[in-house]
Amino acid sequence: MRAAFTILILCLSAFYTYAAFVDLTFLSSTGRLGPGFFPRVIGVGLILACLVDLAMQLSRRSEPLPRSEYVGTVVFVGVATVIFVLAMGFIGGHAAMVAFMFVTLMVLNRDRWLQNLAIALLLPLAIYLMFDVWLNAAIPRGSLLEAWFA
Amino acid sequence: MELFANLALGMSVVLTPTNLLLLLTGAMIGMIVGIIPGFGPSAGLAILLPITYGMDPVGAVMMLAAIYYAAMYGGTITSILLNTPGESATVASTFDGYPLAKQGRAGPALVMQAVASFVGGTIGVILITLLAPLFSQVARSFGPPEYFLFALMGLLLLVFMISEHRMLGAISALIGFALGTVGVDLETGMQRFTFGSAELIGGIDFIPIAIGLFGLGEVFYSFYVGIHRSQSGSIVQYQNERRFWPEARDFVDSRVAMIRGSFLGFIIGVLPGAGATIASLMSYTVEKSASKEPEKFGKGAMAGLVGPEAANNAASAGAMVPLLTLGIPGSAATAVLLAAFLLWGLRPGPLLMTQNPEFAWGLIASMYLGNVALLVLNIFAIPLFVQIVRLPYRLLAPAIVLICTIGTYSVHASMIETWLMLAAGVVGFFMKLLGFSPAATVLALVLGPLAEEALRQSLTISRGSFVIFIDRPVSLSIILATMAILLLTPLLRRFRAAD
Repeated sequence: MRAAFTILILCLSAFYTYAAFVDLTFLSSTGRLGPGFFPRVIGVGLILACLVDLAMQLSRRSEPLPRSEYVGTVVFVGVATVIFVLAMGFIGGHAAMVAFMFVTLMVLNRDRWLQNLAIALLLPLAIYLMFDVWLNAAIPRGSLLEAWFA
Repeated sequence: MELFANLALGMSVVLTPTNLLLLLTGAMIGMIVGIIPGFGPSAGLAILLPITYGMDPVGAVMMLAAIYYAAMYGGTITSILLNTPGESATVASTFDGYPLAKQGRAGPALVMQAVASFVGGTIGVILITLLAPLFSQVARSFGPPEYFLFALMGLLLLVFMISEHRMLGAISALIGFALGTVGVDLETGMQRFTFGSAELIGGIDFIPIAIGLFGLGEVFYSFYVGIHRSQSGSIVQYQNERRFWPEARDFVDSRVAMIRGSFLGFIIGVLPGAGATIASLMSYTVEKSASKEPEKFGKGAMAGLVGPEAANNAASAGAMVPLLTLGIPGSAATAVLLAAFLLWGLRPGPLLMTQNPEFAWGLIASMYLGNVALLVLNIFAIPLFVQIVRLPYRLLAPAIVLICTIGTYSVHASMIETWLMLAAGVVGFFMKLLGFSPAATVLALVLGPLAEEALRQSLTISRGSFVIFIDRPVSLSIILATMAILLLTPLLRRFRAAD
């Protein structure tokens, strides 16, 4: 798995380095070091480091990854977070927060629906009071809510 | 005399009801951040940075700094009561802290760790007060070559001393550098790696990356290792103990360890990249070697608890010196603090103390008061923190995800940055799982633009010759110092191996 991750970084580094060599100049029009100088150094360094790491992985047995019986939980929380961010743009931050908290808590903290409901309502309320009321910071209203007010 | 006048100025800034409240809030939050296992000060600072946007800059930075050093206090409570360090820098506190608790001496251990943290933190701030103006004075003679070398030194030391796999640490740092090159090149005005996107012209913002890598990535990783299923039932019941307060012999036996740990920790803390974890582990080894009864270490020696405790608190104070006087962070947590400074238009560096004395001395003065507040909190609010230790992670984690997401969005009201944070969270999870170093990425992202600017300026001055880096005595000294520390790295890594 580590090799796959390193190969992914290697591919991205190759693309970055290609862009640094093709799109960016080494010297500026005034003859000073240009915008491509540093990225080229970084890009080449990244490719070399990835290659060395891959060679090291091939030459010796890498340590096995810690096994986990909670991969499903990680995937669930990740997917729930993606849906939460998507929902923020649609139903607005306030409703999305309540829904996200309630759904995740119902899965992670089973059979305690009253406790889950209380947290799902009180925590978003606290966040609303802190961000929206006290700090005057933005919480997304969502396209549905904006259409309603329009 | 000028020193006292500066401190008085700082105190006048801190001693307002709002700033005192912010300081106490920061201390309280930092304690909680320290208590939550796997959730370090870098994550706490990154996640809470957005909530300080609407605040007065001085108060906000005081609060963030308090979160940073209070995390060291909080991390030890779980080390003693649960044998689980809340923070990596408090690992050494489990060696003797937990055995003390098991012997029915949890109360004295908790009080002594609070006193040691206070002594370490306060000695650290006294040393900052004395040394920061001198460092600023010296740093005024630094030019671009020295700044470039300092930035490089910080990253090299972080990669070589902290990262478990050096090559993966180097890759992580280079990724941070690469991310730092996205956006408009300030010298030529040319767009780099924007691929026509208007959102990328301003560059990749530090906040979503830091929140994603440290906050969300950490939550995913904690679920992966099953922290949400771990029981807090094994917590030592210190309330049933016969005696809560330490005895006079506890102070007598450990007073030298406390002072020694404080000075050692401060020196290690000033070194970029080394940090509080190495300071505490080194202090533990030093105390064990210096003790007349080394066989007691690991079985409940008070000196084995207080030395590392004083060291990690003094190290977190020491790490503020390069940040305040050079504007160069030596760790991921101080990189987040630097981002906070820049957010409010404050550029730390040699001129900070003369151009913004209210801010610089206000921050230093707040650290004196913060340590006093933490001493009191640590002793009298232990029952409260024990309740927080008992709070199940399965309830805490969704709340952290919520704050990460809303916090990121609230900075620039940007959905793109929110998605970026999410992507950084996934990458952060894999980095942590596979042995890469998210801390090196974040530090390089902050230092990258600074290092690039300094490198290009240096080479312009020297007309393209790299000799400029060895021609200047200060540059040469930095190179030699870095090489010396790197040669000592195997020794320092031995302390790390105890982790």
